[in-house]
Amino acid sequence: MLRSVKGLIRQGPKLDSGYFFHVSARAWLSAAVNQDARIPAEKPRAIFRTNESNPANHAEQHDGQHYSIPLQEVKVVFPHGLPYHFQMQMKTFNETCLMVRKPALELLGYLKNTNFAHPAVRYVIYGEKGTGKTMTLCHAVHYCAKQGWLVLHIPDAHLWVKNCRELMQSSYNKERFDQPLQASTWLKNFKTSNEHFLKEIKTQQTYMWSKRESTEEGRPLGEVVEQGLNRVKNASDAVGVVLKELKKQCPLGSFRLLVAVDGINALWGRTALRKKDKSSNGGAIVTTLSQTGSLFKPRSAYLPDELLGKEGFDTLDPFIPIQVSNYSQREFESCYQYYLDRKWLQHEKACAEEGRKELLFLSNANPWQLGRISAYL
Amino acid sequence: MAAPVAGRLGALGRRLAVPVRAWLPRLTQVRWSRYGPIYLDPEVNKEVYRKPLEELSEEEKTQKELKALQPIKATPSNVTSSVFSDPTVSKFINMMMKEGNKVLARSIMTKTLEAIKRKQIEKYYQASEEEKESIECNPYIIFHQALKNCQPIIGICNIKKGGKTYQVPTPLKDNRKRFLAMKWLITECREHKHYRIFMHEKLSEELLQAFNNEGPVIKKKHDMHKMAEANRAYAHYRWW
Repeated sequence: MLRSVKGLIRQGPKLDSGYFFHVSARAWLSAAVNQDARIPAEKPRAIFRTNESNPANHAEQHDGQHYSIPLQEVKVVFPHGLPYHFQMQMKTFNETCLMVRKPALELLGYLKNTNFAHPAVRYVIYGEKGTGKTMTLCHAVHYCAKQGWLVLHIPDAHLWVKNCRELMQSSYNKERFDQPLQASTWLKNFKTSNEHFLKEIKTQQTYMWSKRESTEEGRPLGEVVEQGLNRVKNASDAVGVVLKELKKQCPLGSFRLLVAVDGINALWGRTALRKKDKSSNGGAIVTTLSQTGSLFKPRSAYLPDELLGKEGFDTLDPFIPIQVSNYSQREFESCYQYYLDRKWLQHEKACAEEGRKELLFLSNANPWQLGRISAYL
Repeated sequence: MAAPVAGRLGALGRRLAVPVRAWLPRLTQVRWSRYGPIYLDPEVNKEVYRKPLEELSEEEKTQKELKALQPIKATPSNVTSSVFSDPTVSKFINMMMKEGNKVLARSIMTKTLEAIKRKQIEKYYQASEEEKESIECNPYIIFHQALKNCQPIIGICNIKKGGKTYQVPTPLKDNRKRFLAMKWLITECREHKHYRIFMHEKLSEELLQAFNNEGPVIKKKHDMHKMAEANRAYAHYRWW
């Protein structure tokens, strides 16, 4: 699985347009999207919320504001993409709200202007810990899903590389190992998000799963996914097949592919296990760098060349870097008002000016830190 | 009171031979401070310093002048000038702490408060309009109210008379009541629940039950009251 994604990335420029590489680093709790940046002395609800729920229409004036995603869409678009803490927030507040921020707007601008005739462009979203990389990626994924692209979302590449409980030697290639658990969960989520595509895309060659089972040429991709789900042993092979098919068929232009990988630096770092999944190459890539799950890297490293290593940097090169930083004054204000509105900040002193200044000081406008502190206040 | 005792003892010891001090072990102090009586406690509250001079009352003005002249003790490390600091919560964290691991105890406390808040907010959003008023979401209010509900009014003391030990009902000081409430909460969570559940989950559940005046800790408080009521015949055994 990983090898295939790596291959995809390596062959990025050769792929036809329509593939976008978005790499988003894991962001913790950066999701606190305030609908409308609150401007004091205006109507309370107007500032930190916006009613514009289609990411395609997000523009400069929405910067710092929260927009909400209805529950049905969340289940379809993000079966596995959102960080754990954000999912808990969703459950508590009974709604899903994402903040529109400048890096996301920049990324959406690039996506809108993509020229599908050219090879796919790669984007690397990087930034310090907890600044909002994963949420930016999720914003982009939502936009692409709304536009009707086929989304290949890998929530955390580090999970595929380390701490594997079940290892099986791959039947496809003797040197590689499979991860059946991860592969089967990923296939299930892939199926949820891209139902209609699976029926349309046809396989281009025959695949033999075992002596008795095989998928003929020209069958819909949904069958491959089903095969992977039913037979856990072949799950990684199924993932590989899916990626390979998508990669081959993307140039044909019938659909647009977005590959969103979280924690791309996992693919090139030193692995705790000698694990390589099936190689299949496929679609566009948006990736994020994540220091959190990466092995053998110091905590302060957040720049692309530090986290990717030489090999990874060369493979990903050339790419467009997008930096995500801490909240600006406006965004912080927005987030603060959103928390107050949703009753997340309960301490009686938190509503006062003193409390707000102290929150700003303690968190340094870092979204993750702000979320952690407001949790117990 | 301890300082004069030590002073007297020191004087006594100086007048008589040195071994005399060993003859009166009960009068020596175990916990003592390097600060003498002249040292004042530090004022951490920022509001006090922001008050302009006109608003201060007479006694506050004299206190302020006194502070300019007298030495002040150093602030302990667990006291902050943050607006969010709470002495009761600090005390509870100290009681939960094991082997000096304050980081762990504090993280358990913050997770407990977060868990309480999440449960209450979820209930709030599920509830109907009339019920929304009655649901309390502030974890600090819940914590204080739960502790207050767990505090016993009257306590038990073991008094030995005529070879037998009697359980005599006694009034309790405020500090002792607060200590007993916290101790019961923590022991209940540590010992009577399954060890594989996280402490913050167990604590949040206990606190919410105590807030609603139900649960094992409230039962323990009622048991203590019943014991005191049953033994009221021996109340006159107490001489203080």
